Amino acid sequence: MSRASRWIAIVVVAVLALLPFLPGAVDAYYFSFLFFVSLYAVMAQSWNLVAGYGGQISLGSHAFFGLGAYTTAILWSGNHLWGSLYDSHPNIYYFDPVTMLLGGFVAALAAVLIGLPLLSKLHGDYFALGTLGFGEIVKVIFVNGGDFTGGAFGIVAPASSFDTLRPHYWVGLGLMVATALAIHALMRSRYGLALIAVRDDEMAASANGIDTLKVKVAAFAGSAFIAGVAGSLYTFYIFHVGPDSVFDLDWMLLPLMMTVVGGTGTLLGPILGALVMYAVFDLARIVVPDYHPVISGLTIILAMLFLPKGLMRVGKRLKTA
Amino acid sequence: MKPGRMEMEISLKGMLAGLLLSSALGLGGTLVANAAGDEIVIGAPISLTGPLAGDGKEQKWAYEQAVADINKAGGIMVKAAGKKLPVRLVVADDESSEGKVASALENLIKVQKVDALLSTHSGPMNIAGAIVAEKYKKFYMITTAFPFEWQPLKLKYSALFFFHPGPGAEVPFQIWDKLPANEKPKHPALVSEDSPDGKGFGGAFEAAAKKYGYSFAVDDPWAIGATDYSALITKLKASDVDAMLVFGSPADTVTLLRQMKELGFSVPYLHGWKGTWTGEFHEALGPDSDYILTDGFWSASYPYKGAKELGDRYEAEFKKDSVTVGAFYANAQVLAQAIEKAGSTDAAAIHDAIFGQEFKDTVVGDLKFDETGFALIPSVATQWWQGKHQLIYPDGNWTYKPAPAWDKR
Repeated sequence: MSRASRWIAIVVVAVLALLPFLPGAVDAYYFSFLFFVSLYAVMAQSWNLVAGYGGQISLGSHAFFGLGAYTTAILWSGNHLWGSLYDSHPNIYYFDPVTMLLGGFVAALAAVLIGLPLLSKLHGDYFALGTLGFGEIVKVIFVNGGDFTGGAFGIVAPASSFDTLRPHYWVGLGLMVATALAIHALMRSRYGLALIAVRDDEMAASANGIDTLKVKVAAFAGSAFIAGVAGSLYTFYIFHVGPDSVFDLDWMLLPLMMTVVGGTGTLLGPILGALVMYAVFDLARIVVPDYHPVISGLTIILAMLFLPKGLMRVGKRLKTA
Repeated sequence: MKPGRMEMEISLKGMLAGLLLSSALGLGGTLVANAAGDEIVIGAPISLTGPLAGDGKEQKWAYEQAVADINKAGGIMVKAAGKKLPVRLVVADDESSEGKVASALENLIKVQKVDALLSTHSGPMNIAGAIVAEKYKKFYMITTAFPFEWQPLKLKYSALFFFHPGPGAEVPFQIWDKLPANEKPKHPALVSEDSPDGKGFGGAFEAAAKKYGYSFAVDDPWAIGATDYSALITKLKASDVDAMLVFGSPADTVTLLRQMKELGFSVPYLHGWKGTWTGEFHEALGPDSDYILTDGFWSASYPYKGAKELGDRYEAEFKKDSVTVGAFYANAQVLAQAIEKAGSTDAAAIHDAIFGQEFKDTVVGDLKFDETGFALIPSVATQWWQGKHQLIYPDGNWTYKPAPAWDKR
């Protein structure tokens, strides 16, 4: 990153971080809009790690998002061994960083357990379908989880914990920045080079001594960890975690689309994609509520027709033309 | 310049442009905001798209009718304003998704600057909506959510009228109790779709069956979206099933019934939930929808003030009847009366005007809200007959007709 780009990035992040102090900002619609953009950007970055950089098309991001969301909801709502602590202090788990990290770890653990058999046996479309199946299995397990998972209805956390959207916004922004920085550092490390080598030619990478399974499973688990933490943040926003909401396929499809529109395998593509696509979706929802899927669908078709390699590569194409 | 660096700079510029776009979004929000004090803006998240769009269409119509009728009467008297204020309804699409209800409410509260809210449809979606309303201290008037989902939350800024699933699931058994001995089902079956709602309802039916001394000959989950139900139908046939309680979507229920006809399997009593009450169900099956019993939240045959007129209005416009629009219309009636009683649109004042209070002469009858903000209405059972819902329960004037074999209809 050039000095100028670094300064632009720092200024953009600083402005965004200070935004909540603007009078009336917290009550403005763009504030919750930016929160959702950051949440989707984190999810898009998660998908980009395993698919964009790792070349493994995962269709199970929603399962990891849901696992993170449920881990948080179960801990927070008192459906566990420390329930008595919740009873006396219902807000104790609200934005608790340990709870959020646990959400990520549970998702990552599930990714390792499912990733080992899937990634060692399946490639390409077959791996994608395997992860899609995993998502459905996890959802059914949670629907049938009885009191522990709240069954078909899910778990409700105390909405009285909510005071302002500020912490959601800052944590979302922080996660978006931290994820981008972590992936930036990762891709400059030996592991990052190995991951790209596996993506570009798995056989050649293996012939050069790279443990391809280990590299792929690590990327899959890392991606799941990010999705799990995002799911945890969503629980603090939505307060009601149900199988139909947090295991919704949209949590996989929208980040996938945002990454593709922004630029797969690029660092800032997922963020740009999330910003542009969420703005289009939201504007369409507000301006033409009855027909917004037409606008959203048309945007996706146009993006695929004219920006098949994503927004990030438009400038590059123009400069090289 | 290195390609990676060039991409990053392009992207940072793109993001600045995106931020400007989002600022425009915020500005747009300011522009569409209401002129405070001149009107009352009521917001409603509605399923305009997605699997519940059929329900959403009826809901939107009912809310629009209620608002039009309120405005025809001069609006709502607001003490704080010292005059009657007209009402404006704004809707936002919740895409039939729990997750999207929150976004829809953010839009209504922050962009459209609504004063109070009317609910969407279905339990989990309404719970998501009620929680967002609670966060932003906007009153959310709900119908179509089960009290067991909403009451434990002890929310201050929402109230609910609906039925309990337990008594709702008892309706078919109460109908059976009144049948002559030779018409009472001997081998009933429960077929619930394999979904959260299906599981929830399935449990209530199992408990009700136990209470009324029945056991299900077949009690199977039902795959959503399947195209071949022949294995299930063969099992029902082999178990000599003579009554079916079916919980499934309109599309799945239509497919099941068509295949039952193809395989020559008919039961005298078939009672459907979720998928059998819509006009689309009758349009898809035509005369084959006759004899099917269905759930609902309301009936134009109710003796309450305005019920018949509302039903006639719906029928005149859509050439079919409805078993839901009255509940949604009443939802708007309650909110309007509560704002008038409260003298303002302040959520706490509306709370005080509803909790523990009675609302008379709505199209679902008098509604008495308890101290938790809940009022009970009965679950409705109707029988399809020549394209119309005929009210059987509660206190219907229609006598249940058992279905003969397909070739004798």
